[in-house]
Amino acid sequence: MNLNKRKAKFIGTALQNKTLILVFVATVLPTAIIAVCLYYLIFNMLAWQLGIPEAIAYNLVPVARKVNLIILIALPVALFVIWFMALELSHRIAGPLYRLEKELNDRIEGTKSGPIQLREKDELKALADKINKLIIR
Amino acid sequence: MIFNKVVLLILNIIIFVTGNTFALSAQLPKKFPFKEKNALDEWQEKIFKGRVLYSVKANKSDSYLAAYSDNTASGIFYQIRFDPKQSPMISWKWKVIKFPKKGSIGSKGSGWIEQDDYAARLYVIFPKLSFNLTKSLEYVWDRALPVGTIKESPYSKNIKIIVIESGSQSINKWIKEKRNIYEDYKKAFGREPGKVGAIAIMTDTDNTRSTAEAHYDELKVGYKDESK
Repeated sequence: MNLNKRKAKFIGTALQNKTLILVFVATVLPTAIIAVCLYYLIFNMLAWQLGIPEAIAYNLVPVARKVNLIILIALPVALFVIWFMALELSHRIAGPLYRLEKELNDRIEGTKSGPIQLREKDELKALADKINKLIIR
Repeated sequence: MIFNKVVLLILNIIIFVTGNTFALSAQLPKKFPFKEKNALDEWQEKIFKGRVLYSVKANKSDSYLAAYSDNTASGIFYQIRFDPKQSPMISWKWKVIKFPKKGSIGSKGSGWIEQDDYAARLYVIFPKLSFNLTKSLEYVWDRALPVGTIKESPYSKNIKIIVIESGSQSINKWIKEKRNIYEDYKKAFGREPGKVGAIAIMTDTDNTRSTAEAHYDELKVGYKDESK
């Protein structure tokens, strides 16, 4: 059995769903608030500094359009990266827990025996080792 | 603690920005008699392309704001907040000494943007939460365009130019103007205006690369028309 690689990143447990949404929202929401505040602050301050409507239309509006275009292109990429990282993180937390629960069920039902095996880097490896000591005893 | 600091920072940013966007409410009507040499201290200079010379000329018999532009475009800007529905009137007098040299229609350099220079121009600015939604009315004295013309600025659809004086027959003469900002805005933009956030004066010649000179005086803003 290859324990070094999990194929499916999304296992669909309630814990993973919650973790995924929490990490995604906790990353995107504050970033979006700060970005909107900064965008608004910088461009409105510059607009008031320029004052004359033609100067704003001639100097600031083209810059704002370019910035908007960059945001439009970069935003989906950034959201995808955040989603991917949130998925990875949620999987690292929910994956081992899911596996531990499944392995324990198998042993309770008698379909499997012997120690529970988790990946070396899994967060719950220490807990699995303690459960294994109980099983062996 | 960190959360409190972040909230405080965001609140500070909002207060700072809205403070800039929505200038403090003024005592109305606000008058600008241009009698003292330091009368321009309460105005901000806003440079677009080069510097127009704005100065208060005061002598025993007369005082006024003089503007001289030589291939330049800059304005003076005053932040004032009021509701044009409650106090819709603005009045002033102006005198054109010299018009910018515009090409005749169809000649080289006679495009709409190349023609966008006026000896005398007064702005009323209606700021919105976002700068790109801010709308402006421009009252101009043009040599060629007929009185009553309302045109979109070549720079933005949010700027409407209203020709209220035309021709050079009144050159070197003081002409009094009185406008209803509320009605003019509705006519120009087809909807009700928001609050006024600033007024500005500009004499410019940057597009025509010529010279122009105008005088302004007795500017009064934000009052009801009692003569009706």
